[in-house]
Amino acid sequence: MKNIEKMKHTDILIIDDEIKFAAMLSKRIQLRGYHSEICHDGKTALGWLKTHGTAVTLILLDLQLPDMYGTQVLTQIKMSHPDIPVIILTGHGTEQDRQECEQLGAYLFIHKPLDIDQLMTLLEKIRETS
Amino acid sequence: MIKKIHSYLKTIWPEFHKHKQNVHLESFYTFTDYWHLWVMSIFILAVTALAPLGFVTLIHYQLIQQSVDSELNLRTEQLTSSTKSSVSFFMEERLNALIFTVNEMGYDQLTKMDGLAEILKNLKLGFGGLSDLSVIDTDGNQVAYAGPFNLEGKNYKNQPWFSESLKRTNFVSEVFTGYRDVPHMIIAVRSIKPDGSFFILRATLDTERLIQTLSSHKTGTHTDIFLVDHEGVLQTPSENYGQIFTRTKLTFPTDQTQTKVIMDKHQKNSPIISAHCFISTHIVSTPFVLVVQKKKAAMMHVWLEMRRNINWTVGISIVLILLVITFASTFMINRLYLIDKTKAETMLQMEQSQQLISIGQLAAGVAHEINNPLAVINQTAGYVKDLFSFTDEPQKAEDIIEHIDSILDATDRCGTITRQLLGFVRQFDIQIKRTCLKNLITDVLSFHKKEAEYRGISVGVSVPDTFPDMETDSGKLQQILVNLINNAFQALDDGCCLDISASQITPKMIKLIIQDTGCGIPEKNLNKIHEPFFSTKQDQMGTGLGLSITYGLVKKLGGNISVQSTEGVGTCFTITLPIKIQEGKLA
Repeated sequence: MKNIEKMKHTDILIIDDEIKFAAMLSKRIQLRGYHSEICHDGKTALGWLKTHGTAVTLILLDLQLPDMYGTQVLTQIKMSHPDIPVIILTGHGTEQDRQECEQLGAYLFIHKPLDIDQLMTLLEKIRETS
Repeated sequence: MIKKIHSYLKTIWPEFHKHKQNVHLESFYTFTDYWHLWVMSIFILAVTALAPLGFVTLIHYQLIQQSVDSELNLRTEQLTSSTKSSVSFFMEERLNALIFTVNEMGYDQLTKMDGLAEILKNLKLGFGGLSDLSVIDTDGNQVAYAGPFNLEGKNYKNQPWFSESLKRTNFVSEVFTGYRDVPHMIIAVRSIKPDGSFFILRATLDTERLIQTLSSHKTGTHTDIFLVDHEGVLQTPSENYGQIFTRTKLTFPTDQTQTKVIMDKHQKNSPIISAHCFISTHIVSTPFVLVVQKKKAAMMHVWLEMRRNINWTVGISIVLILLVITFASTFMINRLYLIDKTKAETMLQMEQSQQLISIGQLAAGVAHEINNPLAVINQTAGYVKDLFSFTDEPQKAEDIIEHIDSILDATDRCGTITRQLLGFVRQFDIQIKRTCLKNLITDVLSFHKKEAEYRGISVGVSVPDTFPDMETDSGKLQQILVNLINNAFQALDDGCCLDISASQITPKMIKLIIQDTGCGIPEKNLNKIHEPFFSTKQDQMGTGLGLSITYGLVKKLGGNISVQSTEGVGTCFTITLPIKIQEGKLA
């Protein structure tokens, strides 16, 4: 691995029920020198955040999860970890969803498919500001 | 001018007469045959309006007819009575003169030379109508004679009138020709000679004078007044029956004393009013029957004039009523047609709008379904590229193949969705084809698959394997399913159930039940849910057209839809549909 030695100790939490998508995204992020963690439902993600929340730099959150709505997860994350930026990553979010998420404090609202370079640029920007 | 009339006619010519069939609009019209409706409307209104008019006119006719008949009868009866008085007086006067002469003169004076001639002369001067005078003894011998005929010495013993004269004190004969061979009648008075035997004073009456008396009562040319004997033989000439002594078919009951008026028919078949009465005097009864006949047609001109006026009035009234009814019916049916046409056009627009809404709802589902595999393709392909960009180590072929398989799986998913979508779009064409209901339900549900998974909605489909393929408009059937399943998903809370079941109830009909455990419909709204624009959904989520269009679509497919719902428990839509739709029913 070219950049493995440059592993930046930054955790990115991916919350998405699409297993293959989440796995590939996670691997690509890791290839770019970041840590990433995957949760496939809202409850697991919120539980994981309780113990590992402090290390998380960015959260990628899908709106449609098997157990909860993405907006519900977002609300709880913002209550427990208001400083972690949350990027909403959705397959078919409406304008209404976008407005609701922005009101709830989402950092960005992105439609799938995701451009990894755009994500990396955002991540660098977040790291610099924090 | 003609152009103006033409353009005016064009504006009042009703729209429904120009109606052209339109397969898309036709099923939305409330009434299909406006021509029939128009004709029926005119017919019913015309019958309602004209029947009383006809009835009243008929009664009016009858009343006038009866009144005219009664008037004619009265007039004829009065004429008969007055003529009878004149004829009776004519005979009674002359009979009294004879009685006076017999009693005053006695047998000897009467048989004296020139005595009788002097009496005849005085009687002619005093009364007229007497042609001769004679004295006849009991053996029939004419003892004395005064008159223009040479009848002296004649014996009347065998004459019927003579034997009748002997039996009665006074006698009036029928008209006969006798020895003189001229029609005449006689009056005779029986008296007693000084020796105790009978003798008869006989006078011959001139029938001309009698005929004149009858004629003097004629009013107009259509009145016939004549005398007949009891056997119906004419005693005076008649316009209707001919000359004197002609035998008529008239018969009279002998006990009839009153004047009798009857409606009869003349031999030429023209209606006549006939009155008759027996002529009798205070002194003696006569063999004569007075007959008065009036041709009805001649007396009817007043009635005919009145009837013509009534006919004109009724005729003009009927034409006016029919014109008003035609105009009113045309106006009303035309208004009805225009309203119906507007409604049909609006309903067609609604149906098309509803189709667009359905497509919009589908598009959202499709975007979600396709975006997810696309994201997988995107990330997997990106990862494979990364493997070569970020590492120098050679990659194992199995790993690469595994990722490529993932990409292929994802493209398969996309392909399946686009195929379903294409199939779905094709269903909007109007056509009857073999349709598998189970596949249709599965297709529609596939767009709700993710939503059902996320929301924990359990969806059950129960269609038996023996369920037959339907021959119907699958586009319409699909839209029914989309509308009802969309509605169910909107009504369902997370974790609830949706059950769709189908069964064959008769060889020709199937039943489709879509049942949810959602919020239900309040009882007060149950009757309104099929009305257009009725919606309980807030923030303009619903158009209020879904169930109205669904109701229309089910009707178009020749089926029925019913709904049972309990608020808070759930809703159950039951649809019955024919397995094979009739071609003509579909539009």
